[in-house]
This record gives sequence, C-alpha cells and structure tokens, in this order.
Amino acid sequence: MASRLQRIFLAALLALPGLLWAQEDDPLEPIVGADIERRDISEDMLDTENFEFGIYGGVLGIEDFGSNSVIGANLAYHITEDFFVEAIYGVSEANKTSYELLSGAVELLTDEEREFSYYVLSLGYKIFPGQVYFGSGTAFNTHFYITAGGGNTEFASNRYATYTFGAGYKFYATDWFALDIGMRDHLFTHELFGESRQTNNFEGRLGLSIFF
Amino acid sequence: MPRLPNLTLLFLAVLLALPARADWFGPDEPLVVTVNSAYIDVYSGPGRGYPIFHALEHGETITLLKSRTSWIKIATDKGVEGWIKREAMASTLDPSGQVPDFTDEYRSDAVVGRFELGAGFGDFGGADSVTATLGYRFTRNLTLEARYAQQAGSFSDSEIIAAGLLHQPFPEWRVSPFLSVGAGIIKIQPSATLVDTEDREDSVLQASLGTYVYLSRRFFMRLEYTNHYLLTTRENNDEVNEWRVGFNVFF
Repeated sequence: MASRLQRIFLAALLALPGLLWAQEDDPLEPIVGADIERRDISEDMLDTENFEFGIYGGVLGIEDFGSNSVIGANLAYHITEDFFVEAIYGVSEANKTSYELLSGAVELLTDEEREFSYYVLSLGYKIFPGQVYFGSGTAFNTHFYITAGGGNTEFASNRYATYTFGAGYKFYATDWFALDIGMRDHLFTHELFGESRQTNNFEGRLGLSIFF
Repeated sequence: MPRLPNLTLLFLAVLLALPARADWFGPDEPLVVTVNSAYIDVYSGPGRGYPIFHALEHGETITLLKSRTSWIKIATDKGVEGWIKREAMASTLDPSGQVPDFTDEYRSDAVVGRFELGAGFGDFGGADSVTATLGYRFTRNLTLEARYAQQAGSFSDSEIIAAGLLHQPFPEWRVSPFLSVGAGIIKIQPSATLVDTEDREDSVLQASLGTYVYLSRRFFMRLEYTNHYLLTTRENNDEVNEWRVGFNVFF
C-alpha cells in the first residue's frame, strides 16, 4: 500500500510543473499587461497558502511491544482559520514483549510482522492563538490544536481500524515555516494474545511544517 | 484492502483543492490597493485571536501578499507586514478605483447560514436507496448534514441514520465538487426467508465525493458517490458503494 501512496503523490508532483507552464505560454501577455496600473483586482489573483506539508519523528509506545521510534509525514489543508484536515502516514517497528524477553526463546511475531505502519485522516481545530517573545523586539505566532480522526494500522500482517486523537503546539518561525510539538493516541483492537484487546498507542512527536 | 477507495477519494479531493491558477511563485505585478475607510486593523497572525498591532489609515496604500483561509497578508509602504480580514477588502479601492472583487457570488456567500433540504435516489451496492438530507451551511465551504436513508435489496433491507460534514473547495463554481465524511448507524434486517435472520445494528462510516450542479439561486442537483464502511461485529467489516442523484433546495 505504501507504494500505491507514493505513486499518487508522485503523480501529483509530476502534474504540478504542467500547471505552472500552462500559464506562461501566452505570447500576448506582455502586450495585454501594458495597462497594469488600471487593472481590477480580484481574489483569484492572490496567492493562497492553505496547504501544509510536514515531516515528523518521535517515539511510539506500541502497547505490550515497547517504545519505538516512529517517523512519518503529514499533509494538511486549512479550511478556515479554525478548522483543518490532515492526512498522516507513519511507520515504526515493534520491539519484543516482556514475555518474549523473559521466556528467552518464544517469538510471538516474525521480524516482518513487527513492522508497524498507520494512516490517519483527521479533522483538526486550532485553539489558543497567541505569541511568544524573544527579547524585547521579536515575537512569534503560536497556537495549540486538537485533532480527531480515523484510519488503518497495519501490524502483525493484519489491518486494524484505528481511531486517533491528538493535540499539539505549533510555533511559527515564519508565516510559512512552523515547528510542531505534538502527541497522538492511536486506538485499535487486536486479538494477538487470544482475546480481543483494545490498545492505546501513544506517540510523542516533533515535526517541521511548511505552508504552500 | 477495504479502506483503499476512501484514501483514493481523499487524494482526489486534495488534487481538486489545488488552486486552478497555480501562480504560487507569482513574479506578477504587486497587488496594490488603497484604504478607503477610517482605519483597518492589522493582526499579527491569520486568526481573530492574534493581537492587533497596527492600524492602516485612510488613503494609505498597501500591497496584498497572500491569503490563508479568510485572512490576507499585507505590507505597507513603510514595511509593516501583518494580516487583515478578508472582509476588510470591501473597505479598499484597487488602482482602477473599484472595490476589489472579493465578494462571493450567490452560490457561496448567499447561502452561508442557510439550511438545505434534499432527497436523493441511488444504487446501494445493488439495493435501491432513498436518502433524505438536511444540511446547514456554517461557512462558505462547510455544510453540516443529517442523513436518513432506506435501502431495499434482494437479501436484506436496511436503514441508515448518519451525520456528516461536507466540504466544497469551490462553492462559487456552477458545477461545484464536494467531499464529505460522515458517520452513523445502519440497521440491517435480513429477508425472513433466509435462515439465521437476526437483525443487526452496526456503525457506518461514509466518505463521499460528488458535485453540486446549481440550477437556480435556491435549487441544485447533487451527484454523489459514497463509500459506506460498515463496522460490523463479525470477523470482517463490510464495504458498500453507492451512487446517488438528488435535488436540494436552500431555505
């Protein structure tokens, strides 16, 4: 599935230069643009910056399978000043359970089955906008956010419907570049130990985002 | 791979949401307007919660740099940069002496704060479906929706009660695509002639992609593809695809 995702992203990237070229092939542009001083201004002429792309890394506690490093990427679209939607894809790898360590020889999962990946589609809400100050002359914008969403987790050669709740803090170094300190909780139910078990998989993360 | 169609829908929607004119790196002429009201507040960030740190004066010229959601980043001749509300553009004049066109056409702003009522008919994985919706548009792009649907099939009948959120990236377009997500409950009554006829009640998640086609100020047709994801208590979750055509009215 990862490769399919990549293909979609790549297709989107490949399509972009085409869009950019498309508007430059009009030879009449300089002539028509001569009366630029008198032109009417409309909203379409203004550059919009509602998308956000980010990468992150952190620690994911996979319940019963230890704390593990996680990396991922996210794409968000800011719908209003309050709401945004985001898609997240992250990968990690599960450690051994305590039982496996204590018993010595028992292996619950193969190496391949320990690969852990998830994707989440969430709705986010931005709260507590504000500023932080460095010295007397510099201020940076910040806000907190909360998210809720769902997706799928692939783990132990199975796919589990996953609910994800999160919160975080965003620090804007510039309008278009931000630092993201956040946490997510991925909830899913598995039956790896025989009986059905709801797990909370907490993730602490540090990310960088650009807006475009 | 039961969830894949939903994901594909999302990326299609993201692609649709890309600006139609991709002048992102625009080396275009700066967009300069003149303030035509007593003052305009300048915020430090693109949100109503950020502090107002400056006020633009009447007659001052400002350059429009970019927009984010309903905020516009501006620069003054003296080099002050900050954000003003999109609505403040109505208090400015462009070089030709006109108010810049930041007004929405009737299809978008005109319907904010309005309800829309609709009915649709479709094919629900082979079964016939009838759907009623009641929506409330609370921003230019977003509609909150309550849905009730009944399906009649060969092996079972069902009904769905759900709530959803519908996003139109380009509400001003005459044919305006939308993306919607929702969640609800599906009640399934298997046909009595089959053995093991136990009624079931499951949660259902809905992801839809479709388009509004505006026929008049108050009336539009709605074409829609919905992916219903049934969270069952059995081993596997079910997935049902639905095609639907409907008509809605604003009030």
